[in-house]
Amino acid sequence: MRLLRELRILLPFIVLIALWWAIKVGAQVSDTMLVAPPAVWDAFVHLVTHGILAEYAASSLYLIGVAALISFGIGVPLGFAVGANRYAARALEPFLRFFQGISGIAWLPLAILWFGFTHTTTLVIVIYTLVVPIVFNTMVGVRAIPENYVLALQSLGAGRLRIVRDVYLPGALPSIVVGTRLGMGYGWRALIASEMLVRQGGLGDLIFGARTFNQIDRIMVGMIAIGCLYIVVDRLLVQPVESMTLARWGLLRQ
Amino acid sequence: MATDKIAVSGFRHVFQTEAGPVQATGTIDLTIQPGEFVTLVGPSGCGKTTLLKAIAGFIQPSEGTILCDGKPIKGPGRDRGVVFQELAILPWRTVRRNIGHGLEIAGASKAERDKTVARLIDLMSLTGFEDRYPHELSGGMKQRVAVARTWAADPEIILMDEPFAAVDAMTRLTLQEELARLCAATGKTVFFITHSVEEAIFLADRVLVMTRRPGTIKAELAVPRRNAGGRDWDSFTADPEMRDIAEKVMHLVHAERV
Repeated sequence: MRLLRELRILLPFIVLIALWWAIKVGAQVSDTMLVAPPAVWDAFVHLVTHGILAEYAASSLYLIGVAALISFGIGVPLGFAVGANRYAARALEPFLRFFQGISGIAWLPLAILWFGFTHTTTLVIVIYTLVVPIVFNTMVGVRAIPENYVLALQSLGAGRLRIVRDVYLPGALPSIVVGTRLGMGYGWRALIASEMLVRQGGLGDLIFGARTFNQIDRIMVGMIAIGCLYIVVDRLLVQPVESMTLARWGLLRQ
Repeated sequence: MATDKIAVSGFRHVFQTEAGPVQATGTIDLTIQPGEFVTLVGPSGCGKTTLLKAIAGFIQPSEGTILCDGKPIKGPGRDRGVVFQELAILPWRTVRRNIGHGLEIAGASKAERDKTVARLIDLMSLTGFEDRYPHELSGGMKQRVAVARTWAADPEIILMDEPFAAVDAMTRLTLQEELARLCAATGKTVFFITHSVEEAIFLADRVLVMTRRPGTIKAELAVPRRNAGGRDWDSFTADPEMRDIAEKVMHLVHAERV
């Protein structure tokens, strides 16, 4: 049964690879446009054995990790501050939506002018991309907490700090998780985009550099690594929090 | 002279809305004595919840004063417990931790907390559900937890705002009997709001009837206690005096239909 379930997850990938191979062979696509799966596998083995993939991937993972920590530290308190104040929330909603519209990538020209072609530029872009959904969803989460929870606790003698700890934090957690999850998705994409322009390491740098020498096999290894690592990050960071708390409380919104 | 547990005098409330002021209640005077179970019955929108919220300290009255043990009410506090109509127990706490929440806030020792929680779990027929989360419970059980949580904090007076309105009719009868037993066992002062005449009389030592909006109190009727253990529906419905009181209250309430 377990094997069957895992096969079900892999099935679409297998179909995709088969299709890719069939097109490559069937339509006789030239190697300058598309390479066959075995060539990509060879490139993968090469990049792994020479430690190249690990180095570039480590750079990406390090930056997304640092960005996630900083964004969480900024975004959650800010979301609380805004969400706890009805007037601030109303006033800031269009403001936040406005910046939701300006993607992190759109900030790249300015960031490069300010910080140069450095990791700082990439970090700023990714933090910006992560912070907006975290602030927004934390705010929404705080505002969605039923007033009765707060009133009931006040009648039990709870002070402000106690209400934040026992009501607002756990009450907003589902939304914070949603915001972080969205943010990580956006942030990961912004990271790759920024790395392609900044060219200071990372998987974005790897695939953009490979383009210069028409190394299609390397580009595809890089792309597959980007997708796989995102799944790993999501599985390792977000899903454990969800099953530890939200599912147990019956709050998971399906 | 003993002070009233609650003394409301000249209370009147007006809500400020964007469309202008809305008068929520007429002028209301009432007192509640220590250990008394007072129910307030009235048509929806008459302002009964507004009055309860003012006693709880959630809103400041536009006019009049509300005293608790002779002292003016400044805001919510642990001396006045509240049971809401909509569920207000926390979904991220187990039954045990919800019921013990008030004691936890008060800084009670774990031993004391466990003892009180165990007693209330027993009184409210929640045995076996101590470590469940609210989403695993039926609506009636959740409301039992809410009642137990308020009782566990041991407030001076308990304010209940149509706590059983969202529960199915069969469960409601059981909950009402359990509440009657709980009150008999603990001797708490209770102020209970409802729009059900039978519920108001079944639970009360004294029933207050409100007019339609803007509500004022138009009548009050004493309901004699029959036995020390709290009422049950079988003997209540068989009691001719209770039937008389019910008929009187029914007439009073029907005159206020909107």
